[in-house]
Amino acid sequence: MRPGFLLLAAALLAAAFPFGPARAAGDAARGRALAEEHSCGGCHGPQGVSGQPNIPSLAGQPADFITLQMILFREVLRDAPPMPDLAQGLSDQQIEDLAAHYAALPSGPAEDRGPRDAGRFHDGALLAERLRCGICHLPDYRGRMQIPRLAGQREEYLAGAMAQYRDGRRHGSDTNMNAVMYGVTDAEIAALAHYMAQQ
Amino acid sequence: MMRTCLALGLTAVLALPAMAQQAATPPAPSWAQGRPDGMAASPLAPHAPRMTVTAPDQVPVAALRVPQGFKVELWASGAPGARMMAEGPNGTVFVGTRTIGRVYAVTDQGGQRQVRTIAQRLNQPNGVAVRDGNLYVVAINRVLRYDGIEGKLDAPGEPADLTQAFALSPEEHHGWKFLAFGPDGRLYMNRGVPCNVCEFDRDRFALILSFNPDGSGQRIEAKGVRNSMGFDWHPQTRELWATNNGRDWAGNDTPEDTLLRIRRPGEDHGFPYCAANWQDPFMQPGRPCSEFVAPAALLGPHTASLGMRFYTGTAFPEAYRNQIFIARRGSWNREQLSGYDVVVAKLDAQGNVTGIEPFLTGLRDEANNRFLGRPVDVLVRRDGSLLVSDEQNGAIYRITHGQ
Repeated sequence: MRPGFLLLAAALLAAAFPFGPARAAGDAARGRALAEEHSCGGCHGPQGVSGQPNIPSLAGQPADFITLQMILFREVLRDAPPMPDLAQGLSDQQIEDLAAHYAALPSGPAEDRGPRDAGRFHDGALLAERLRCGICHLPDYRGRMQIPRLAGQREEYLAGAMAQYRDGRRHGSDTNMNAVMYGVTDAEIAALAHYMAQQ
Repeated sequence: MMRTCLALGLTAVLALPAMAQQAATPPAPSWAQGRPDGMAASPLAPHAPRMTVTAPDQVPVAALRVPQGFKVELWASGAPGARMMAEGPNGTVFVGTRTIGRVYAVTDQGGQRQVRTIAQRLNQPNGVAVRDGNLYVVAINRVLRYDGIEGKLDAPGEPADLTQAFALSPEEHHGWKFLAFGPDGRLYMNRGVPCNVCEFDRDRFALILSFNPDGSGQRIEAKGVRNSMGFDWHPQTRELWATNNGRDWAGNDTPEDTLLRIRRPGEDHGFPYCAANWQDPFMQPGRPCSEFVAPAALLGPHTASLGMRFYTGTAFPEAYRNQIFIARRGSWNREQLSGYDVVVAKLDAQGNVTGIEPFLTGLRDEANNRFLGRPVDVLVRRDGSLLVSDEQNGAIYRITHGQ
């Protein structure tokens, strides 16, 4: 991407979400080396787009989101084996470098993504509207700050994550997702996951 | 943060007719109640926390401002998520956190501070208090006691687990605790309301409670307190004073956070019916504010007024003696940021609040509607200096006077 575009994008983002303090970013090049060293791509895909069921794609995720999740793994506050083990010993700087690396990779759907089901896609769109997913995750579901990208994520991973939030088995840095998912049925989760994965 | 309650979109969830078909599920937890339709598309959401170390040269200490004659400096850093503070007999400052699940111990080592992580993997261990050299840590679901902690900071070992005796409520929402020992030797903590605004059992939630240090003898000290994240006792009258967080989604300027003066144990301060002299129209049928104790002072809308302590030292000018320092973590549920500072509640001889004055400022960038840090707690050390924890930067500032 051209530097000019990046600057413009950064300016637009800052204008849209002006609250947060400026922070030192990680180093994407160091993060790439670290990801290779730790074979992250073995599960998450060489370019951060996962081809394995229940393993999320990381490419294009907001850096803050990746950092937050990696800290939760390292501190053994989020249970998703084998990640808590793999995160042990990583420094804050290494985690921020990994986050910068994956945030900079182009997002995209997995190669094994199935075809769109018009009915479920439509149901998912209506639910996403009613649940107002796009307010926090942004209207194109690319995420922001600690809030993850949903667009193009693996469908079965999204369904699993939403069920975990609903059932109180997963927490973010606050309880919003647990509240949003309260009482949402498995069928509704399936439709939402399909809709997001097909973005 | 987080008076986090309200999930964006929950109003929509609860309004879904489809939900009605789920008769088998328990009643909805009411998280989003109280948000008017007009705010349903609001982009306001809790700010992202920072849980990685902020390097000392990145901590915005140069932006901090204090009144003339005072000096503010960076006292400690490298403690991500630093929130509530308590000082041990030998001067160790213990620091609780929320999301990152740790408790830190900060010690002075020849002019430098050493930060140790002495407990981790806890569910929001916000509450820390020290009594007779023993450190009490309260997470949402646990009460732990580290005996003789200052003699074993490098290897704290297994704490005594008092969880069962305290029988805490498991609710996560507003379930993190502020903790302090009263002058009566009892252990005090809040029990927040598990929603933004809702119907709930008023004898179970929105309380300040006290216990014997072993967890027995629970007593209600104050009712109708939505969520207090700070309290202290007047050094002369021994009255309990507390901060209280107002609810979200009632507008940019409504309601204000409050400072409560609790003259008699068990008094009712009004939530959810009344907050900051404002009868909440969400509650139908309502109850007028005249039925409840009025707050001692208003602390601004959505400011997240948290840690508070009376100034008991002698190092600051006489005018600050027995006045209240209050950390305001700063708003998320307001279009124009509010708070992000430390204020002083000025009290007259009768204990009436005569004004709320700024003390530590500079963390709110008003022109750009940005914040640089989030003060959560204040602590008066034995030397009379004032510590201020900054959760966003994992830092602690030290304020002194003169010299």
